[in-house]
Amino acid sequence: MTERKIIIITSDGDKFPVERKVAEKSILIKNMLKNLLPAEEEEEDDEDEDEPIEVPTQNVRSAVMKNILEWCDHYKDYNFPDDEQDDDSKKSAPIDAWDKNFLNVDQEMLYEIILAANYLNIKPLLNAGCKVVAEMIRGKSPEEIRKTFNIVNDFTPEEEAAIRRENEWAEDR
Amino acid sequence: MSVLQKVCKSPDSNGLEQVMSNSITSGPSSQQEIQRTDNSSPEDPPNKSIVTPFLTSHLQDQDDCEKRFCYRHNPKVRFDRRSDETKMREIQSELEKLPRRDKEAISHVWSIFSAAPTQHRSLILKGLLSQCCFPQLSLISQEVSKLIKIDFIETLPSEIALKILCYLDCQSLCNAAQVSTRWKQLADDDRVWRYMCEQHIDRKCPQCGWGLPLMAVKKLQECSRRRRSNDMDSTESIVERLPPRLDDCKPDVKRQKVNKKRPWKAVYSERYTVERNWRKGLYKIKRFEGHMDGVLCCQYDNNNLLMTGSYDKTIKIWNVETGKLLRTLTGHTRGVRTLAFDDQKLITGGLDSTIKVWNYRTGQCISTYTGHEEGVISVDFHEKLIVSGSADNTVKVWHVESRTCYTLRGHTDWVTCVKIHPKSNTLFSASDDSTVRMWDLNTNECLRVFGGVENNGHVGQIQCVIPFSLKDAIVTDFDEKLTDESEKQTDEQTQSDQDFVLQNPELPTHLLTASLDNTIKLWDLKTGKCVRTQFGHIEGVWSIAADTFRIVSGAHDKLIKVWDLQTGKCMHTFAGSSAPITCVALGDSRFVCGLENGDVKMYCFDA
Repeated sequence: MTERKIIIITSDGDKFPVERKVAEKSILIKNMLKNLLPAEEEEEDDEDEDEPIEVPTQNVRSAVMKNILEWCDHYKDYNFPDDEQDDDSKKSAPIDAWDKNFLNVDQEMLYEIILAANYLNIKPLLNAGCKVVAEMIRGKSPEEIRKTFNIVNDFTPEEEAAIRRENEWAEDR
Repeated sequence: MSVLQKVCKSPDSNGLEQVMSNSITSGPSSQQEIQRTDNSSPEDPPNKSIVTPFLTSHLQDQDDCEKRFCYRHNPKVRFDRRSDETKMREIQSELEKLPRRDKEAISHVWSIFSAAPTQHRSLILKGLLSQCCFPQLSLISQEVSKLIKIDFIETLPSEIALKILCYLDCQSLCNAAQVSTRWKQLADDDRVWRYMCEQHIDRKCPQCGWGLPLMAVKKLQECSRRRRSNDMDSTESIVERLPPRLDDCKPDVKRQKVNKKRPWKAVYSERYTVERNWRKGLYKIKRFEGHMDGVLCCQYDNNNLLMTGSYDKTIKIWNVETGKLLRTLTGHTRGVRTLAFDDQKLITGGLDSTIKVWNYRTGQCISTYTGHEEGVISVDFHEKLIVSGSADNTVKVWHVESRTCYTLRGHTDWVTCVKIHPKSNTLFSASDDSTVRMWDLNTNECLRVFGGVENNGHVGQIQCVIPFSLKDAIVTDFDEKLTDESEKQTDEQTQSDQDFVLQNPELPTHLLTASLDNTIKLWDLKTGKCVRTQFGHIEGVWSIAADTFRIVSGAHDKLIKVWDLQTGKCMHTFAGSSAPITCVALGDSRFVCGLENGDVKMYCFDA
């Protein structure tokens, strides 16, 4: 029995044929496929068996999807532990080296990967993306953070001084 | 169309600037801002014929945001990049150096790009890039890296922004709160700080290695079950009752009533300050003056009560906050060597060989137990059970309700410390014979003896034993020099002892012991071996107390040392005492020590 082909269509109309287990890294797509293929094996000799299944993803553009699928492909044979269960150990674990390298992209791409991972419900990728952003913030002064993300300081000098005092306790460790 | 033609006739530098800012920021713009300069030179006509219709056709799409803007530039979706004034000025001045016709040509390029829909823009850019040489690409690369800066925290959905913030440490979070109004709002969010508290309070955060004291106000029933403040495994191990009980640890019930929700950030900051003081060794000393002779024992309830027993035959009860002596209990005919209290009763053991039970609120001695042939060196209790260790080398187990007493024999010298481990219903006794024995309180049998050179045991009299359970990895001496031999031995040992060890999962995992051989030892209960020895005191250690994070030790060398429980490293040595330290007690933010000259001092790290 050959597996039915899955084609992911991006917001800008590009088509990505993928293996089912790759696509199913996205819980959104996995659930979608579950609904589309309720009893796979029974319908084996259906006439439209060879028809590929098209999965539209309106919120993800092609360049981002290419990255997402690369990630999914890398982890296609890896079973991530059930999410909430070991939340704690996962949260404190450092970023996986491969993920870190994979997410070494410009801020816009990182931003869109995070949004896409959220939309497609790919928790491990979303976690990795969030960790990368956290690493960009970690250990920086408020001014350095503003520079990193091009943020305008909208506090008045008085407010700024007050907030600084409010947070002083954490300063010297 | 008509609008376009009208503006085309009045080109000026102001207009040009608008074109630039419009095209460069590619921001949402109104049709009126789009400008075309007048084309009069002969080379221009083909250009004109292309540019104008292009602009016209695409500007008509402008209302259709989906086509006109990429998703990031759609003002309906999220705000645009801000235009950079200095950059604009730079472009303006460079442009002004050029002859008029060049200005026009460049302006056309920008206008076309500005009017182009997303797909066209990509195409134009790809075409431009393919023409660039390396220095130009390098320029682009530099400019681009400066331009792609996204305020993730402000623009991502707030649940993702909070998720990101949860990965930070407290210092970074406090810095993040100072970035902008929106950042402050999110970085101060109660959910983030609740998570921070969960990660750190009463446990070591695996990421940063910090743990914060619990500082809970004990509820009454908890209090009654809790005995010695230095018994870290009282009733239910503090280590084991973590996140679910967290709500209990918002301190000060009264304050909570007034101000219903105390921010988790405030809770965190309070604990953090205490922990930092512990780490830095910043403290204030409170003194409790009144004993006429050496202090032999003390207990602190982690709240407001401190009790001390002395060679002067009395027990003194102190108000910790005011430092005032609340009551002096008299009745023992010789020195009071040991005491244990909860919220109702106090049990004391004296060198007069008796055990006394007191109602310390009235000062009344409720009952006296006699039976030991020599002085009582240590007592402990749990519910209706009292245990005592004596200079007559025996341990006695007093069942108060059935009025029966069992004598546990085995030690060959003074029994210096007894501790009940209620969860597993076992008893641990330390002795001057340099061993610790573990007894089954159901059968009164001795289950195991901890000691001996082969197990790396103490070579001097043991003065104190603390059973406890710890799930986190603990640093042992074997981490440094793990030899095959020791590994093998451990395996064999474990095998032979599996019968009873595995039968009772409630048993503590480790023991801490202090000895007059100047060392503190950590024992693995399963293997029965000492796995870590802490050196540093130069005379015998009389007393230790421990909690989730640290061990406090007091010794004959007049020093008090604070050790990291996990690593076994000495964090602080407090000198300045004028006499040997005979006893110590530990609370979340304070420790107490009693001296051989009658002084009682409390080191407060929450000051």
